Amino acid sequence: MTRVRVLPESARSPGRQETENALSLAHRMPRLVLEARRVAANLAHGIHGRRRAGIGESFWQFRPFVAGESAQRIDWRRSGRDDRLYVREREWETAQNLWIWIDRSASMGYASELAQAPKIERAIVLGFALADCFVESGERVGMLGLMAPRATRRIAETMAQTLVTDRASLEEDMPPAAPIAPQHEAILIGDFLSPVRDIAATVEGISARGARGHLVMIVDPVEETFPFQGQAVLHDLEDGLSLRIGDAEAWGRAYRERIGAHRAELQELTHRRGWTFTIHRTDRPASEAALRLLTLVSAARGAKLGGR
Amino acid sequence: MFGLPLTFTVPLVLTALAALPAIWLLLRITPPQPKRVDFPPLKILADLRPEQETPARTPWWLLLMRLLLAAFLILAASGPIWNPLAEDNSRAPLLLVVDNGLAAAHNWRDRMNLASERIEAAGRDGRTVAILGTAEAPAGLELSNPAAALERLRSLKPQPHLQDRRAHLENIQRLLESTPDAHIIWISDGVAGVDGQDFVSGLAQMTDDQRVTVLKSDRASALALAGVENAGGRLNARVVRAEPNGRDSGTLRALDLRNLPLADMRFSFDTNATETSVAFDLPTEIRNAITRIEILGESSAGAVNLVDERGKRRRVGLVFGGTADQTQPLLSPLYYIERALSPYSEIRMGRGGVADSVNQLIDEQVSILVLADVGGLDRETLGRVTSFVEQGGLLLRFAGSRLAAGNDELVPVRLRRGGRSLGGSLSWDTPKTFAPFTRESPFFGLAIPEEIGIRRQILAEPDGDLSSRTWASLADGTPIVTADRRGDGLIVLFHVTADATWSNLPLSGLFVDMLRRITSLAGAASDLTSEARNAEIETVAPRMTLDGYGMSTTPPANARAIPRTYVSRATGDHPPGFYGPVDSSLAVNALVPGDTLVPLNFAPLNARVEPLAGAQTVDLRMPLFMLALLLLLADTLASLWLGGHLSNLSGRVRKAGAAASIVLASMMLFSSGFDARAQDLMSRPIDENASPALITRLAYVITGDANVDETSRAGLLGLTQILSQRTALTPGDPIGIDPSRDEVAFYPLIYWPIVATQPIPSEVTIRKLDAFMKGGGTVIFDTRDAFNNRPDGAVSAEGQYLRRMLATLDIPELESVPNDHVLTKTFYILDTFPGRYATGQTWIEALPPRAEGEENRPARSGDGVSPIIITSNDLAAAWAVGPRGEYLFPVVGSNQRQREMAYRSGINIVMYSLTGNYKADQVHVRDLLERLGQ
Repeated sequence: MTRVRVLPESARSPGRQETENALSLAHRMPRLVLEARRVAANLAHGIHGRRRAGIGESFWQFRPFVAGESAQRIDWRRSGRDDRLYVREREWETAQNLWIWIDRSASMGYASELAQAPKIERAIVLGFALADCFVESGERVGMLGLMAPRATRRIAETMAQTLVTDRASLEEDMPPAAPIAPQHEAILIGDFLSPVRDIAATVEGISARGARGHLVMIVDPVEETFPFQGQAVLHDLEDGLSLRIGDAEAWGRAYRERIGAHRAELQELTHRRGWTFTIHRTDRPASEAALRLLTLVSAARGAKLGGR
Repeated sequence: MFGLPLTFTVPLVLTALAALPAIWLLLRITPPQPKRVDFPPLKILADLRPEQETPARTPWWLLLMRLLLAAFLILAASGPIWNPLAEDNSRAPLLLVVDNGLAAAHNWRDRMNLASERIEAAGRDGRTVAILGTAEAPAGLELSNPAAALERLRSLKPQPHLQDRRAHLENIQRLLESTPDAHIIWISDGVAGVDGQDFVSGLAQMTDDQRVTVLKSDRASALALAGVENAGGRLNARVVRAEPNGRDSGTLRALDLRNLPLADMRFSFDTNATETSVAFDLPTEIRNAITRIEILGESSAGAVNLVDERGKRRRVGLVFGGTADQTQPLLSPLYYIERALSPYSEIRMGRGGVADSVNQLIDEQVSILVLADVGGLDRETLGRVTSFVEQGGLLLRFAGSRLAAGNDELVPVRLRRGGRSLGGSLSWDTPKTFAPFTRESPFFGLAIPEEIGIRRQILAEPDGDLSSRTWASLADGTPIVTADRRGDGLIVLFHVTADATWSNLPLSGLFVDMLRRITSLAGAASDLTSEARNAEIETVAPRMTLDGYGMSTTPPANARAIPRTYVSRATGDHPPGFYGPVDSSLAVNALVPGDTLVPLNFAPLNARVEPLAGAQTVDLRMPLFMLALLLLLADTLASLWLGGHLSNLSGRVRKAGAAASIVLASMMLFSSGFDARAQDLMSRPIDENASPALITRLAYVITGDANVDETSRAGLLGLTQILSQRTALTPGDPIGIDPSRDEVAFYPLIYWPIVATQPIPSEVTIRKLDAFMKGGGTVIFDTRDAFNNRPDGAVSAEGQYLRRMLATLDIPELESVPNDHVLTKTFYILDTFPGRYATGQTWIEALPPRAEGEENRPARSGDGVSPIIITSNDLAAAWAVGPRGEYLFPVVGSNQRQREMAYRSGINIVMYSLTGNYKADQVHVRDLLERLGQ
């Protein structure tokens, strides 16, 4: 008999433990692999040159000094070579914004004894780790509806503080469906156990201006296999529904079909919007999902850039 | 029923068994409680209805268990009885007569079971019951319902005396008159009481043929002790039984005042005999200690015989006519008599003059009065002694110069004035020896050593009955011990002195044996000592009595006092036991010497006689209800388990249990911190595979103050190292001891730092310390306060503590160590004994005063070692070394060599405690050599 447990509400806010786990996971990210994939995608992850002069670090071009400009901008080393005055221009560089959202509803505080960690813990660790990784490579990370994008080195701690102070989203199943800018990307981490049409509405809302995104579905092994037998009363954690089933084994077969259909619909929905869909089981290590997410983000950018 | 010895009181209930199939059906479709599963994906599945709603079946074993439970309940309600008594279908009242005298005690439980079976059977038949215990005091008989009768029966106990059944005849008569159809059941022990056959014949007159049922064993099985006699140097016990019953042998056990067994003796009956006798042939002192003899395993008051002071150690009073020089005891005749008699008798010495002594000893109620060389008595004293003898006292006289000079009437034979000398320088005779004892003599059988020599004696006037009064004579026929009866008493005269001046008889073992024989004679005649004079008016209260099983108890409320002269057997008012104060108890026994047990003859009753064995009726209701209850418990547990609650519960229980055990363990640790330390210390010698007895080691007392204890340990460790370096002594590691629990005898020297804040050691500890010091051990008390000593001489807290502690100890006189004390010379030559401080004085047992000619000796010592050394210099702190050999404390003082001197003091003290006054002799050698050289 598989034993399951439901976490109290306080456990659904990140604590010191989750934050540190996320940081340690971020540090353990195989950077070389990441770099290789970046090279393959012909893209240096992070600061993206805009192929035009602007505020940036790397050299773009020398142009002749125009009268009326500030004399400070003259590059004297270049100007000394001949009789003309030159100004050094740098390439305009800008960082990308990523929006992360973590489902912290009651159904996330759930763990069976088959899982390595509760769903909520896994979701938070994953979200923080990704955020830290992105900030490390120069991106800016925000939280949907909670925090504007920023590139602080202590992004994990900042996000944790934001989450702890926010009590309202403990009941929210879905992120706010407000659209984000076209160049931004959204990463939604949750169990997505809502009716598909609700999820579809949210996804369409976020991507209304053409932004892209990634769904990460955190699944407890019990939710996938339903290894129960005999008579049981099932309780839902959010709506207070309960269902009495006489023969759990027979009911489990129907359930597995049903959950398969649910996933297929989600897959189809994300595909239609150009998003990606990732299923992560809590009996697998978190790094697996993190790596896949990093790859997906890079690949999506590559495709975008390649298409340009 | 069904050929089984099984009946049901309410058989109608059994029809409910028919309902079992219905119960089966009901139980079968009632499933166990479903388990609860929390399951988040339910939200998206709300439209997914279960396909199959058939509940899981109740497991078959649970079903079976519940059916069994129901069946057991129904069966129990129907009142099944296994092995019921044969019904006699009578509704007549029942009179249950239960013998509870001393013969019934040994199988009392069987009798009670039998009686309660009968009462329960009567209860099932709806009969009323009256209970009569034959050894109880007669009381009106009342018919009551069986439950009340059962209570009444349970209050019956076997009584420790022989019953008088006749007293109950009247009550039975009255009952039979009111209820003529009453049935009588008599559970009898088969032994006639004090009334003999009267009860049976009386009952036979009242009843007709078949109204009496007698339940008795085939043969009366009781054994009893009837009389114990202390005669002829042996203790004879008489075992009786009512009739030959196959219990032909057994064991008698003699016990002392504290119920410790002294001797076991087998007894055996001839097959048809009803009485037998066992002799305890024991040394007198052991025989005298016997207070109780019992038949092992009989557990009845009749099988116990108490032995009182009559026939115990005699009290002997000694009076000497001359003046005894205390410094030369061997010259006093009383010395030899006392030495000969004291192992077997209680010796009282007379004080003052002869008359005073005699009066005092007679007042002390001696049973033997010894007058050694007492010539004449004044008239008043003579009268007292004469009445003492005539009332049964034994007067033992020894000759001497005073008796030879003139005598009174209290001699067995007429004596010649003057004496007869044999083997002297003016006589041709050699000292005479004894002739063999004649058969009439109480000394018959004693071996006569050849070296006995009588040099002088008092001669008896030749007389007609002289030979009959002679107990022993010399080889030439002159009487040497004569005796005569006087009233109830006896006068015995030795014609020689009790010291070695006239003969060497008092130096021989024969003297001891002769006195013992005489002493045992006194027992036979001395029943009426002066205690008897006022016996008629003196009564003694019961002090300890026997209950029906022969166990000693406090006297019951109805036990009454007895007169001193009480000699008959115990009754209900006077239960057997000891009466009167401890040192002169009167024993009352259930049976007196000469009693026999007589079997009852039931023939006149013409009754139905049934064996004592019960029918073993078992009421099955209780076991069935218990089974049902157990099944109910099991069912509850199974339901919980099936519902999945049991695992939660067990987890919670496990957590709670772990927490509880942690709390418990910590509490135990906390409370037993001291114990743990002591055990640690105790186990250490075993760990090192060396008991404290095998290695000499220094010891310190654990005061409880951790700093002081650590200093003591480090100090003794330092001293131990120095001792190993400089002397031949290699002590083991020092050990901390707790004198209240550790054995201290192994250590020659104990260092005891005084901590004023600790509680004073307990009385037990002080006693142990005393024993240690008396046994040759030395204790160094270190008050460690020399530095704080005030110039005005006020006593510090440590000093006061030490004084309080030693207040109850037997401490010898102390002095500050003198310059010529052996302690100053044992290894080093020292003047003072500094420690960390040098200003304190060291106190030691005062030496005896200087003897003449010893003035110039360099060292003196007393006998043995001073048990106590008191210092205030904090010796251990000066000796203390750390693990790297560094000194832990600085010394306080101007002398650079103070630490060295402290070590030397320590070495001297250890050497002193180990070698004692040896050095006091050794240091003479130089003087001796010098003198010899001159």
